[in-house]
Amino acid sequence: MKGRPIPSEPISHERTVLKNASEYHYLKIQLVFQHEGVKLTAAQYKSLIVSAVKELHGEVGASCPLDLLKYEEKTLSAILRIRSSGFVKLWTSLTLLGQYQNQACSVCVIQVSPFLLALAGNSRELDLD
Amino acid sequence: MATFVDLNIMNCSDVKRLQSVIEMAAHLGYSAVAINHVAEFEKKKMEIGKPLCPADLFPSPPTVQGRRRPIKILTRLTIIASDPSHYNSLRSTSTLTRPYDIVAVYPKTEKLFHAACTSIDVDVICINVTEKSPFFFRSPPISAAIERGIFFELIYTPAIKDSTLRRYTISNALNLMQTSKGKNIIVSSGAERPLDLRGPYDVATLGLLFGLSEGPAKAALSINCRSALLHGETRKTAFGITYTMKKPLVLEDEESAEEPVTKKAKKE
Repeated sequence: MKGRPIPSEPISHERTVLKNASEYHYLKIQLVFQHEGVKLTAAQYKSLIVSAVKELHGEVGASCPLDLLKYEEKTLSAILRIRSSGFVKLWTSLTLLGQYQNQACSVCVIQVSPFLLALAGNSRELDLD
Repeated sequence: MATFVDLNIMNCSDVKRLQSVIEMAAHLGYSAVAINHVAEFEKKKMEIGKPLCPADLFPSPPTVQGRRRPIKILTRLTIIASDPSHYNSLRSTSTLTRPYDIVAVYPKTEKLFHAACTSIDVDVICINVTEKSPFFFRSPPISAAIERGIFFELIYTPAIKDSTLRRYTISNALNLMQTSKGKNIIVSSGAERPLDLRGPYDVATLGLLFGLSEGPAKAALSINCRSALLHGETRKTAFGITYTMKKPLVLEDEESAEEPVTKKAKKE
């Protein structure tokens, strides 16, 4: 037991239990259009989402703070952040979004998680082979 | 975990479009879909004869996302009833409905709704979501239907298309939840185009909007659909007895051809 390093500070253990620690929820979504070649800027993308929430849940729903964290223009996919209280409101209004400027579209929710790190890998298409 | 099932994909004459809808459903993660054949009696156009054969539609069905298995394609018949005589084909000539996996009715009046819940032999009762419900959902027929294992179906595609229909969908759903308390509810798409479909987890969240709580909302897509399919299976054969026939490959040089095909009766 000679080579074992002797810790300079005393070792202590701490046990912390957090319940609903995350204040935010994160969603990874993708907008799908019937016809390809629709271009949207990040500002247009966000206003589309906010107007969808406003249509279903009104001003109160739209007032919930919503952030567009990452936006990829090529695939129309994005990562959204929302307060946990407005999470269901956002998700349901994304589900019921049917058209943008008279073009049929649908929002594909790829992943949801209260932690951003979890969006790194996709559990729904988990390939075990 | 029970698998996700979508019990209502509108049948249309355009085979290409039907194929793309089913491909989309497989991509979103549904393990089984039912193609809906609608029989409207007012038009005197009854095509109960033969459902669309799934094998004709796809030589090899698309693989379901996340579980390397081909999607299961079922058939379903919906009868739109506005007069008591429309139920006759369900009562007497039940051979007509036999090729279908699921039989549903869409009652237009309270009297027919009561009859469908209490006496008619169906699996699913469709709830009108495109207009204000013409009658109240009273407790006795609904509790009788829950007792018999009949399911109520809500369709969400009209809610995507139009904001007025969305209002009717939500209000009728909430009315139904008040009496049924979230039991025996199925949420399905009624999709005609691929973009009408939503992923199963999205639809489960939509259930929260319809007044279901989280557990029943997920059951509305998975467990309840499975129960409805099993209910349909017992109706197709007999109540509680299922015969399966296994045909062994007959080899030429063996004398096994004269033996009758083994039948196995199994009691549930």
